[in-house]
Amino acid sequence: MKAEISWLDDPQTFRINQLPAHSDHRGYQSVDEAAEHESSLVQSLDGTWEFAFAKDPQHRPVGFYEPDFDRSDFDQLAVPGHIELAGYGQIQYINTAYPWEGKHYRRPAYSMGADHPEKGMFSQDPDNTVGSYVKSFTLAPALQNKRVSIEFDGVEQAMYLWLNGHFVGYAEDSFSRSEFDLTPYLQDGENLLAVEVFKHSTAAFLEDQDMFRFSGIFRSVRLAAKPALHVEDLTIRANVDDAFVTGDLQVALQLSAADKLAGSVKVSLLDDSGQPLWTAEDEAASDLKLATTINHVHLWNHHDPYLYHLQVEVLDAAGHLVEVVPYQVGFRRVEMKDKIMQLNGHRIILNGVNRHEWDAHRGRAVTMEDMLHDQLVFKENHINAVRTCHYPDQDAWYDLCDLNGIYMMAENNLETHGTWQKMGAVEPSYNVPGSLPQWQLAVLDRAKSNYEMFKNHPAVLFWSLGNEAYAGDNIAAMDKFYHDVDPTRLTHYEGVCRNRVYADRISDMESMMYDPPREIEKYLQNDPDKPFVNCEYMHDMGNSIGGMNSYIDLIDKYPMYQGGFIWDYIDQALWVKDEVTGKPVLRYGGDFDDRHSDYEFSGDGLLFADRTPKPALQEVDYYYGQHD
Amino acid sequence: MANTTKLNVIFGDVTLGLSGPGFHYIFAYDRGGLESLVQYGKEWLYRTPKPAFWRATTDNDRGNGFSNKSAAWLGADLFSACTNIEVAVDGQSIPLPIAPENNKYSDHETAETVAITFTYTTTTVPATTVTVTYTVDAVGKITVATHYNGVAGLPELPVLGLRFVMPTPATGFDYVGLSGETYPDRMAGGRPGTYHVEGMPVTPYMVPQECGMHMDNDWVTVTRATTQNNADPDHAPYSLTVRQAGKPFAFSCLPYTPEELENATHLEELPAERRTVLTVYGATRGVGGIDSWGADVEPQYHVAGDQDHDFSFVIDGTVKY
Repeated sequence: MKAEISWLDDPQTFRINQLPAHSDHRGYQSVDEAAEHESSLVQSLDGTWEFAFAKDPQHRPVGFYEPDFDRSDFDQLAVPGHIELAGYGQIQYINTAYPWEGKHYRRPAYSMGADHPEKGMFSQDPDNTVGSYVKSFTLAPALQNKRVSIEFDGVEQAMYLWLNGHFVGYAEDSFSRSEFDLTPYLQDGENLLAVEVFKHSTAAFLEDQDMFRFSGIFRSVRLAAKPALHVEDLTIRANVDDAFVTGDLQVALQLSAADKLAGSVKVSLLDDSGQPLWTAEDEAASDLKLATTINHVHLWNHHDPYLYHLQVEVLDAAGHLVEVVPYQVGFRRVEMKDKIMQLNGHRIILNGVNRHEWDAHRGRAVTMEDMLHDQLVFKENHINAVRTCHYPDQDAWYDLCDLNGIYMMAENNLETHGTWQKMGAVEPSYNVPGSLPQWQLAVLDRAKSNYEMFKNHPAVLFWSLGNEAYAGDNIAAMDKFYHDVDPTRLTHYEGVCRNRVYADRISDMESMMYDPPREIEKYLQNDPDKPFVNCEYMHDMGNSIGGMNSYIDLIDKYPMYQGGFIWDYIDQALWVKDEVTGKPVLRYGGDFDDRHSDYEFSGDGLLFADRTPKPALQEVDYYYGQHD
Repeated sequence: MANTTKLNVIFGDVTLGLSGPGFHYIFAYDRGGLESLVQYGKEWLYRTPKPAFWRATTDNDRGNGFSNKSAAWLGADLFSACTNIEVAVDGQSIPLPIAPENNKYSDHETAETVAITFTYTTTTVPATTVTVTYTVDAVGKITVATHYNGVAGLPELPVLGLRFVMPTPATGFDYVGLSGETYPDRMAGGRPGTYHVEGMPVTPYMVPQECGMHMDNDWVTVTRATTQNNADPDHAPYSLTVRQAGKPFAFSCLPYTPEELENATHLEELPAERRTVLTVYGATRGVGGIDSWGADVEPQYHVAGDQDHDFSFVIDGTVKY
């Protein structure tokens, strides 16, 4: 297959040759490796890559992926990272309007009718910057002679991949892992990997989040080898009976084989001290289902995030251990009961925050240190819930939430407010995804990527369909998807409040943003159908968080009021060197000559951009502590 | 032993001087306020204290249009003038003691207390007045009473206070009140206690704005180590204490006036720290938090312009109680 640049313009082309999304489990070669979380089957490709920047597609180095291409003028760039923060491409911060506001007149493909495909919008866009990345690698010994895939954890916003001159695939969805099979094109010795990253594609219409607009390979890249037998997917359902005493564990495995699917699988459940509670074995098969019950199960919740340990051991036909897959298991039950969302039979109270991934040096390429710091801030301030606004986060964040008992509203990557919200008014005349059939598969794919990747995390209580994307058939289809695949969680979407026609098809909870307390009270007093959640409230821009008691007071008054998520966790600003003093200073939208901009509107965090707490955090600690 | 020394009163031609053990104060008629507050040889005032009406606009203020509606108070904060002065000695009002009225006095006049009241007329339309009465006793204790006259038609106030600008930066301040930066609608999380603050931190909001408010205090002690007096080589720390008079007060202690903060779009644009700006507040508007593009601060946290406001506090003299 040949790569086509026209895919950038087509909302129906968003994944070519990508492997299907699957759970975020990791395979190890031995039990010891699994215990250490150091897999020799993995080879990181993070680090320095060769790089060339082009201001638009017309100026990109066409054919740069060919092994004999002259790349002597290529620069070097650190992966992961944003192209703009390395000095290529202008930094821009903008909220609602699209980043091309005032520069290009655009309507999303097919939004003005089936005969308006808007060909060339991005492939011929004079402002669509292109990053051409090249990395040479030699397979580490443990990866040799195995099937090898490559995982991109985050590439903004559209990427084409080649290996040794062969086109491998294409991906959109900046915040979901994209995985490709490299096996057919691998060669002995040095291999040449090439990635072409476009800042904009039709995905741009779906990724209009209120944030700095970046591009590039901004999360890790790695090679992952598959042993002769490999766990492709793992689905864990760890529920509990009506009496909340007996755990119900169901494990579904999908296996693949390099040659022949023959061998066996051993599945064990251990408690947190390592004591085995259950072991089962079965013949290897492409689909396996194992189940057990656990008496007096230790349930998972915020205060006691107890995790069992599941271990899958895959043995070949000769009985040799070829792969070990560990996974943390939290037994818990999320349900809607008497119009109240419950966890393990108790009403859920969300002392939450919205969290963008942010680091003032690195943008959205956050580090483990950043994440650990954030978890600590949560713990110290009675924050018990997080909404991953408005995209999936790095997978390590979900592990940390499991471990620390942070309830997650796991949002897929979607925000389109520029297509329906203009000058603060609801004006959905060219909304996407809306009910346009040409946009449905793209958003369903985003929902699927979110579900498949994070389905096994006990911390995820809610799937969120995205943010501020209005409501139509396509959002309803996303809601249906989540319910069809996952009866163990509830769905969330705020935008249906803009289009109540879909009220019975979208979102299990009534969700609003920035609704004044008295308006929420009116809703609650009127025998509503759904419990209420503030998906965003207490807008902490600058010196704010006044009057929080008016929200917190609703918790004791109305059982159907279930709390919310403060907007937001951390200011988005960037360290730069002050041109006058030479000292490091924090800069925000408009400070990079970026126009149109929303300037300081990104400074809404409980933390300043450098992760020091704002004074208002003590207020949040106090009020969240009252219902923790 | 009670201090039996009386207050020395110097009936100058453009000022009224008051002195006693370890203190010397000068009220200037021509400058319209307390011009000099010296304790133990250290000057505490850079310019005469003036009523404070403005706070540097918060993001929420901008978003909900409060700064547009109440912009008149920015002018009043900068430009309101002293329009009347009254003096009372031992509780008795006297004609303003300037020449020839003061020809009857000597260079060894004394009193138990002297009170001087400055009336400031605001630049707002309609105008209103604020009176500030300083009552000084024999040990230099100053009781400050401020009255704001509510006038129909005046917009809501961002704050109402009295602002003291000190000649050099404070090294820090101590207070008994609540932890952290607090506001009327954001003080439940403030833990009561005694706190020391090093320097005069400006809360690093991305856009500099109102910050550093401390609600509900018994007292605050500001410490400095430098003066502008060329003949004073001593850099030992020295302090001044403001104390509640009947009910707790709010204050902020910052290196900048609200106007300096207002002008900056980034922290690095703020000038070098040269002064101490201690403002004692009688009323302060909440910061709000519902949203930053229209939602008003909850009504109970507004400061009405059409109602009277009174507040008072004490500046410690040289004998502690």
